[in-house]
Amino acid sequence: MSWPLYLALKQLFPTGRRFPFFTAISMLGVALGVALLVVSISVMGGFGREIRKMIVNTQGEVQVRSSGLINAPALVQAAVNKVQGVAASTPFAEGVAMIEHQRKPAFPAIQGVDLDHVDGVVPLRKYIIAGQFDDLDDDRVILSSQLAMTIGARLGSTIEVYSPLLLEKLKNDEVLLPRELTVCGIFEIGHQQLDSSVVIVTLRTMQELYGLGHAVHGINVKLMDGADPDEVAKKINRALPVDGVAKTWMDANQEFLFVLQLEKNMIFFLLLFIIVVAAFSVASSLLIAVVRKTREIGLLGALGATPGQVAACFCYQGIIIGVAGTAAGLALGFTVVHFRNDLVGGFTKLTGSAEALERFYQFSNLPAYLSGKDLLLIVVSALFVSTLAGLLPAWRAAKLKPVEALRSE
Amino acid sequence: MNEHVLKQDAKHGCLLVATGLHKSFVSGERRLEVLRGVDLAVAAGESVSIRGESGSGKSTLLNLLSGLDAPDAGEIRWEGVPAITPAARGRLIGLVFQSFYLVPELDALENVLLAARLLGKIGSPERARAVELLRRVGLAERAGHVPAKLSGGERQRVAIARALMNSPKLILADEPTGNLDEGSGDSVINLLLALCAEEGAALVLVTHNPTHAARCARPLFLREGGFHAA
Repeated sequence: MSWPLYLALKQLFPTGRRFPFFTAISMLGVALGVALLVVSISVMGGFGREIRKMIVNTQGEVQVRSSGLINAPALVQAAVNKVQGVAASTPFAEGVAMIEHQRKPAFPAIQGVDLDHVDGVVPLRKYIIAGQFDDLDDDRVILSSQLAMTIGARLGSTIEVYSPLLLEKLKNDEVLLPRELTVCGIFEIGHQQLDSSVVIVTLRTMQELYGLGHAVHGINVKLMDGADPDEVAKKINRALPVDGVAKTWMDANQEFLFVLQLEKNMIFFLLLFIIVVAAFSVASSLLIAVVRKTREIGLLGALGATPGQVAACFCYQGIIIGVAGTAAGLALGFTVVHFRNDLVGGFTKLTGSAEALERFYQFSNLPAYLSGKDLLLIVVSALFVSTLAGLLPAWRAAKLKPVEALRSE
Repeated sequence: MNEHVLKQDAKHGCLLVATGLHKSFVSGERRLEVLRGVDLAVAAGESVSIRGESGSGKSTLLNLLSGLDAPDAGEIRWEGVPAITPAARGRLIGLVFQSFYLVPELDALENVLLAARLLGKIGSPERARAVELLRRVGLAERAGHVPAKLSGGERQRVAIARALMNSPKLILADEPTGNLDEGSGDSVINLLLALCAEEGAALVLVTHNPTHAARCARPLFLREGGFHAA
């Protein structure tokens, strides 16, 4: 071990002292910053992952659309299914409609799903909280939970559906008759927007409501495990007719994912300042140490140390505090992440806010996920900032001339 | 005087030869000339004491001789070489200070070993020598004690052991008894002279104490920037 490292360790953990107070306080600052970063980025990552999972579960990993309608969905579906990496596909039609129940109107998005193929691609049935997915047929409808609550519909209620096609009929002075559908199920995905304004009907019902004939708006595609969505989307595009375009779920939700990433980056940036503040405290403590140890620094020079070696001794102290603080912060952060649900549960019980939490955030369990990349970014940032904190004191120490340092009072 | 010094250098194979050293400091608007053409040659194994009043330039001279400070004029040769690097100083010269300057975070043994560490030598032979030096200064039992738990005399003994750690050819001691009571001071001087003799190291001792100065083979008196008869 080089002597600057040896002396740095000894100055941080002096011989015969059980509890190195200065070192502990300095490390604690860095550790708290790292722990907060780990917890926040993990929770943000958890939310992001849940939302991504939800998007994939409702849209598939790749979506094929056309500039207009897909008039021969069976042909396109057959072409898509032949592409390597594709596990299954299902056609869909979508739009908006006005629904009414007991004079309470709503304007939800309406999705027509192909009952023969939807199960292989979109696991809608796992989000059903009342009724049965299997009961869905051309005269029935599944409502999202908050929408059902808003219009006061329950299982067995009849709702009236007005589609844009009915407006066309109205222009031609035809009789305006809404389609009556019976509620056979209620679903909840865990996403405010989807849970408050989505209606699911069969593809045939949707085609009738919109007058699509046999045409559909798109095809949702599920990939085989491990298949790269970008690669498969490219292959599908090569196999598709000219006006068909396959987009991955990431491309289709680019703006939403960008906002998610931006929020995560902002949280990282803001919380990094805790480590920066801790680093200032480390730098300040080390600068005081340089002043306090001026004569010792002079002694090192007198015994044969070069200015570079003296600088390294203080630089190492910043690095050691950074490494130990980061390690402690990671341990603390992962412990908090591990017990996050107990902590949130305890807090909400204490404040009586458990219901509000579920109502506004649609979760009772806090999701958490920290990618290797995020972990590396936290560790590297903490170490970089701590190392910088040691540089200023190191520079000050290296500038001291031994003869003047030894003479100082 | 210069010729005399150089002749002495040639005759004895001097470790250190200083010729015509000048050093001044600026104090406010005044320039204080502390050393005015000092000549000194130190032969291997000899002991030299330098006495003088406070502010006469004793410590300044020692700083020049150790290479920690540079003279305004004049030349110093260490074993015939006109410059000394930090590493060469660590090997050739052992330093003892009035205020001991032990590293408070290290115990006595670690403080002694520090001199070897700084030269990149830290193995079993160095550890054995440090233990042996602590035994010779009478602190074998206190090797594991940090400086805060040692008395002033004991701290200075540790500092002497540290100065001898790299088997230097020259020990420069700047008022090593200045912070000690009379008994401890006498004991430290006895130890320093005995160990230098045993190790064959030359000693330049700066002191206020005439008795301690007289124990050296060549007592010198620094006054008005130059040496005078003691």
